[in-house]
Amino acid sequence: MKFYKPKSLLELFETSEKIEGKKYFLAGGTDINVQIKNGIIKDESIIFLNHLTELKGVLQSDNHIIIGALASFRGIIESKLLKNKLPFFQNSLQEFASPLIQTTATIGGNIANGSPTADVVPLLLVLNAKLKLFSKSKLREVPISEFYLGYKKFILKRNEIIGAVLIPENAETGYETFYKKIGSRKALTIAKLAIAGLKRISNNKIEDIKLAVGSLNEYPRRLYKVEEYLKNKTVDEIDFFELESQLKKEITPITDLRSDKEYRYQVCVNLIRTFLNH
Amino acid sequence: MIIKFILNKKEVSIDVDPMKRLLDILREDFGLTGTKESCGEGECGACTVLLDGKSVTSCLVNAVHIDGKEVMTSEGIAKEPIGKLLIDCFDEPNAVQCGFCFPGFLVTSYHYVKTDGEKNLDKIKKSLSGNICRCTGYQKIFESVMLACERKPLMNANERE
Repeated sequence: MKFYKPKSLLELFETSEKIEGKKYFLAGGTDINVQIKNGIIKDESIIFLNHLTELKGVLQSDNHIIIGALASFRGIIESKLLKNKLPFFQNSLQEFASPLIQTTATIGGNIANGSPTADVVPLLLVLNAKLKLFSKSKLREVPISEFYLGYKKFILKRNEIIGAVLIPENAETGYETFYKKIGSRKALTIAKLAIAGLKRISNNKIEDIKLAVGSLNEYPRRLYKVEEYLKNKTVDEIDFFELESQLKKEITPITDLRSDKEYRYQVCVNLIRTFLNH
Repeated sequence: MIIKFILNKKEVSIDVDPMKRLLDILREDFGLTGTKESCGEGECGACTVLLDGKSVTSCLVNAVHIDGKEVMTSEGIAKEPIGKLLIDCFDEPNAVQCGFCFPGFLVTSYHYVKTDGEKNLDKIKKSLSGNICRCTGYQKIFESVMLACERKPLMNANERE
């Protein structure tokens, strides 16, 4: 393995451009170290990121909360700013891994690892978060809903990294919130599936609703068709057979070592019902 | 790569592969075998240490990440007043069975008792949720930490820090 420890962001991009072939950016290392142990990563180049303080921290800028890609989950859970502005987001992450992993794991790593079961992504999807992507000569913002292209495939160009996550500061304001992670045990579990939801009810009607699921597709996704079907209906007007037929167009659950596809589908339907009825 | 860090309150430096796991550095280079390896994937907490005062699984921390930082292991904690208190509190209800998970539990519960210390079972359970005891003696472990929270206010103020 070859290692690089760039002193600054600029040096990071210069280093990264010079490396031929496959390379890994190492942030907290909680996933990459397991992949090394299991022989999945062997002699690819590794670029260390975690010392780059410019990519850490949680701060406010205009009407957005900016979370640095290298912010740790513990930092996010303990942030006073997030407690004030985005308490649903913050509370939902209490279930992320374990307190020990939360210390080192980073939000950027959870997104860029590309797991279909990444805990933070369904939350970011319903909060209309954007990612700030950095490269040597360019900065661009991409909605998180457009970031994933397939299983572990991203919109990232070569030598481009996730620099920060932007969430509108009022993303939760006026919404009822819902987050449920289903796993085999309470703590330190990899989700069988996860669902995040925001809804705004006015005169008994669902005025606005946002739903996102993890572990039900090759990457976490918003359920736009289900949302469209539900908008402007009262709960009594919902035809659940119709809802399920919309849902089937949007999710493709698979059977794996954690659960089978029938289970995942049924639990997803049940959780949407729970959210609508509560 | 040469890294410098503070290990159990002493400055140390070592020339090491930057990817070497903190767990292996502690055990092989410094002979601190209190830190155990069990799963090697961050699932079990047997290798827990404090990094800059926060509990981490040392099997997932690379050498490069400890440069300039402070590491405290179960051996260091055993010399601290709150560490001694915890060891007594684990001893009294016989909370340690085979003992393999104990150094990890000691580190995690030290962090909880020191930084929070509220005698609150739910909070204690949550804070210890990254540590696994396969003798499954959880009730006694929780009792021990509850006991330490109860006794912490009786310590001298300078020992509580």
